[in-house]
Amino acid sequence: MKVVDVVCPFCGCLCDDLVVEVCDEKVVKVENGCTLASEKFLGDHRLQSPILREGFGWREIGYEEAISVAADILLAADLPLLYGWSGTHGEAQSVGVHLAEVLGGVIDNTSTVCHGPSILAIQEVGHPGCTLGQVKNRADVVVYWGANAIEAHPRHMSRYTTFTQGFFVKDAHLARTVIVVDTRRTETAEIADEFVQVEAGYDYEILSALRAIVRGREDVISGAVGGVAKTQLIRVAEICKRAKFGAIFFGLGLTMSAGKHKNIRNAIELVEELNRHTKWTISPMRGHWNVYGSNEVFTWISGYPFAVDFSRGIAFYNPGETTSVDILRRGECDACLVVGSDPGAHLPRACAAHLAKIPTIQLDPHVNATTHLATLQIPVAVSGIDAEGTAYRMDGVPIRVQKLVETKFPDDTEVLSAIYRRVREVKGQ
Amino acid sequence: MSGILVRNAFVIDPIKRISGEVMDIAIRDGWVVEDAGPDPVVIDASGCLTLPGGIDSHTHVCGTKVNFGRYMSPEDMRAGRTARRGVMHVTSGYSVPTTFGNSYRYSAMGYTTLLEGAMAPLEARHTHEEFTATPHQDMLANTLFDGNWSVMEAVRDRDIKRVAAIVAWTLSAVKGFAIKLTNPGGTEAWGWGQDVRGIHDQVPHFGVTPAEIISAMIEANEILRLPHSVHLHCNNLGVPGNYRTTLATIDLVPDLNPLRQSLYLTHAQFHAYGGSTWRDIDSRAEAICQAVNGKPIVMDMGQVMFGRTTTMTADGPMEWKLYMLHHNKWSNHDVELETGSGIIPVYYSRKSLVNCVMWAIGLELALLTNDPWQCLLSTDNPNGAPFVKYPEIIALLMSRRYREQEGTLLDPRTSHRTAIFSIDRELSWEEIAVMTRAGQAKALGITGLGKGHLGVGAAADLAIYPLDPDGIDPAVQVQEVIAGFSRTKYTIKRGRVVARDGEVIVEGANATIWSRSDVPSQYDMGQDPAFTEKFSQYYTVRMKNYPVQEAYLPRGVCIRTEAAL
Amino acid sequence: MRVTLVARPRAKPSLPVEAESIIPQNFLRGTDLTVYEGNKERRLEELFFITVEGPAVSPDQVEVVLMGATGRVKRVGEYMNAGRIVIEGDIGMHCGNFMSGGEIVIKSNADAWLGREMRGGRITCMGSTSHNCGAGYRGEKRGMRGGTIEIFGGAGDFAGEYLAGGEVRIHGSCGDMAGIEMRGGLLVIGGTVTRPCGNMTAGTAVVLGHVNRMLPTFQYQGVNDEVWDGKRLKMDVWEGDVANRGKGRLLVAVGK
Repeated sequence: MKVVDVVCPFCGCLCDDLVVEVCDEKVVKVENGCTLASEKFLGDHRLQSPILREGFGWREIGYEEAISVAADILLAADLPLLYGWSGTHGEAQSVGVHLAEVLGGVIDNTSTVCHGPSILAIQEVGHPGCTLGQVKNRADVVVYWGANAIEAHPRHMSRYTTFTQGFFVKDAHLARTVIVVDTRRTETAEIADEFVQVEAGYDYEILSALRAIVRGREDVISGAVGGVAKTQLIRVAEICKRAKFGAIFFGLGLTMSAGKHKNIRNAIELVEELNRHTKWTISPMRGHWNVYGSNEVFTWISGYPFAVDFSRGIAFYNPGETTSVDILRRGECDACLVVGSDPGAHLPRACAAHLAKIPTIQLDPHVNATTHLATLQIPVAVSGIDAEGTAYRMDGVPIRVQKLVETKFPDDTEVLSAIYRRVREVKGQ
Repeated sequence: MSGILVRNAFVIDPIKRISGEVMDIAIRDGWVVEDAGPDPVVIDASGCLTLPGGIDSHTHVCGTKVNFGRYMSPEDMRAGRTARRGVMHVTSGYSVPTTFGNSYRYSAMGYTTLLEGAMAPLEARHTHEEFTATPHQDMLANTLFDGNWSVMEAVRDRDIKRVAAIVAWTLSAVKGFAIKLTNPGGTEAWGWGQDVRGIHDQVPHFGVTPAEIISAMIEANEILRLPHSVHLHCNNLGVPGNYRTTLATIDLVPDLNPLRQSLYLTHAQFHAYGGSTWRDIDSRAEAICQAVNGKPIVMDMGQVMFGRTTTMTADGPMEWKLYMLHHNKWSNHDVELETGSGIIPVYYSRKSLVNCVMWAIGLELALLTNDPWQCLLSTDNPNGAPFVKYPEIIALLMSRRYREQEGTLLDPRTSHRTAIFSIDRELSWEEIAVMTRAGQAKALGITGLGKGHLGVGAAADLAIYPLDPDGIDPAVQVQEVIAGFSRTKYTIKRGRVVARDGEVIVEGANATIWSRSDVPSQYDMGQDPAFTEKFSQYYTVRMKNYPVQEAYLPRGVCIRTEAAL
Repeated sequence: MRVTLVARPRAKPSLPVEAESIIPQNFLRGTDLTVYEGNKERRLEELFFITVEGPAVSPDQVEVVLMGATGRVKRVGEYMNAGRIVIEGDIGMHCGNFMSGGEIVIKSNADAWLGREMRGGRITCMGSTSHNCGAGYRGEKRGMRGGTIEIFGGAGDFAGEYLAGGEVRIHGSCGDMAGIEMRGGLLVIGGTVTRPCGNMTAGTAVVLGHVNRMLPTFQYQGVNDEVWDGKRLKMDVWEGDVANRGKGRLLVAVGK
């Protein structure tokens, strides 16, 4: 059976035009998707039942026992951390936040290691953004800053920006000017009309210089800034000011280099300055398919997009303090529940080491790096393949990911709801 | 479920023409009935003002831009925090509270129905997700059409039936309730960083004017027989001298529906400015009220109250202009083929003459409109002020003395720029009941669902306030009025006591009310080549993935009509 | 009155403790206070050996002394308005938040957000402090508004971020971006600093040591003779941040 207009649960692009062929409750073929998508749909080596660590080995257990063990671990903790969430659908994230508030724990998503700095910057100066279709239909200048779209978001340029025709941009390839800013000549840089090569760690200075130039104060700028000649900066500023609709997309090259959220803030303020001349927008290239959804869900329930600490009953937020990387590095939490993420693979080594020291529970369909640190793993269905639910694209557009095949596995919402019920029972609620 | 008998309530129910009668109200299975059945739970409401549940016909509580207001404002989140307590979830936020915060605080004030003022169709799923997390009020969503390309093209082609068909398809797809126009044409112009300056300006590239969009949509709305009228946020919001735009807009409005208004003008305060700059701004509330009196128009106040808040609207260009005045922080979010939005935090100060004039205009509108059914109470929450200020607004409307006391704290020039301190009128309990529930129910066209009244067959949504109208003089006892309207003794929603003395005591289960107008098959836009091409070519979401699935409306209530096509 | 709090050994020593109740005025009513250890509310005496010596009738007569492992104890001195707190060892984050009067002396190091949103009073740290010293809260436009913070060691990144009033003196070196978003007040740095004062709009920052990577958007105003700590110094004067229409002043000792 062929299913059309399937949503891809891989990256923040959430492409929704895939064609998936299903045979005997298995995905056998994927069309329209990038290589990352195909891998996600086709690669499938599931853990078959919950496993509990015993001594040096694992014991297979039933779901009921797994849920009760998980609840006991979380209830016994003085500061449980509920981490991950970018790889699951919104309904599960929502139960996760309620679980954290009942437990008095910290809930955090993978923004802590990707676009957390972007959120901090937005909290300082706001966010002039738009949906991706605005860029597709209108943009004549597109900037990728510290973002290698071709590798990390393979269809971003063909679906939303550079190569796609838009209502007001008929001949996309010729009509759009592409500027790439990066520390090295990436694949994306190869197709740029203007490549600005920045000395590593100098993004902030370059953004400041561009802001000054755009507002007519090029007189204070010296001959070169951060490895970029003033003449090029002036040229770039001119291109930006002459645009009818400009869009900046930025990635981890900007969020995770020296200065972090201040880089993003400076980029946003450049966009603000450019809006005094013409129309500009700026957008983060969100990585995981539903990391933005976790920000949205956390926000409407708790008020904050990530790093929410309920240990005092109320919601407290202070990235740098309540972010999971910092909590783990300082060894503060004494139990951890991981959902929809693989911290064993992507968190710094010191953080992973602490996860190994404390009881760590993982909800994940597959054996992964975190399995090796975990005490208990509960296999679940995969959102977008054998579970359905809501996801938020990198620009905030909510899309429902589908269930394509039947499964014996419960989804994250079901498992989390069962843990939540059990915790409330024990707490007498 | 056993019935409830509310005993000896002091009832004001303007729709049923009950004005201060002491009576019992029987409730069973969620409805007001003749007989509560055996062994009902008895609630003693003696000496308590008892009204139908409050209805807010224009508030921003759920959806993309509201949540972005939270997301970008940890400083606002920390300004109002409560811990998990009983069945109550954690809440955060003052001007943009979390969904549960909104729901609990509205419930404490006796509100049981809310209309979200602006939902972008492309992002409707988000609004509906937050609706389910706002559990103590039934929810409705105004659906944005101000910059809708398909609509503008049909308007340009003078094809009203096609306009209606597009609206019908979209409302049904996104489970919206009514047509909302926010700065019509202006939000599309903002896609290029521009705006329209009046109702006869051309929208760039589309060959239509705001006036044409407004007129066509009013007509299409009646073709579809939608419960509510077009809900309009006029062009030029917040611009000195904009009362002319508002008056010109009022002139466009025909009288097309015998049951209700033909146009709802929202947050009229922001559209009633004279002068030409911020320096010489003055009130033109009187001119607006004169134009509205007797016309098929209902407006809401959009009252400003002093203090900090967050402004949020689909009117992207307006937010940019406001940001250029405030320079605090600015968010903008344009939505492809449909609309825009912007958010900035503001502080309304008694030291600012402009802010004082705004404060006065909202009150003037309410006091100079002859018929309270034509000017409803709102702050355009949170734009003029967070909704928790409603009790103070009620007190200001009921007490000239309180207005004068407030006046002593304001910029003294306020009395030269506005007429507020020369108005003697003090609104009655009944007029307040009209302006906070009955008028909303009628304007929204939901009295048929049992909203806004307490007659037999009504939805059992009640607000029982610890206020004895026979024992309180609202012209004098201002603090009692504020305290009374801030916290009900009981809020009953669909036949269950949901809040007592300000505490929410049950988990909620609200309904989402949406509209569906059935059209003949030749008007089914789902099959229309030019319409579907918008999805295959210009939207970034496929047509199949666009509609909001039933899963998002666990308790959907559909108002179904037959389009006159 | 002198209240001595000696931290008891804890089963989970890395678990954070939140102790905003430890302010001088609270001890006028006794020591029956609570603090949080993780998500558990504890009585103060569960976590500290408490000794009280002498009387007091007003908070300015109260001195609180903390001893032992207090590096994970957060929010000590939050909202204090009078009296004195002496910390013999390290102290956790947010020490002296919103403080409006009195004095805090830290004999060793202080963790991040020292004196966040401080309004008045004095904090002295003999050791070093971490990031965001004297800064604001996320999303707020103002950090410290009044009072004095003096650090004898160094500071981490973003020292004096959003500084709006009062004085931050750091004798040692700072990390990245000290004085960023400054809009008032005085920031003095004795040692080296990297990329100071980005986006500043007002206020004065003085660097007696060396500036790494001066931002490109500060306008040079020439050399001035200035007197700091009784010493006459020649200083380069910069104005900025031009990127932000700023009119702040950044003074850097010549030849350092």
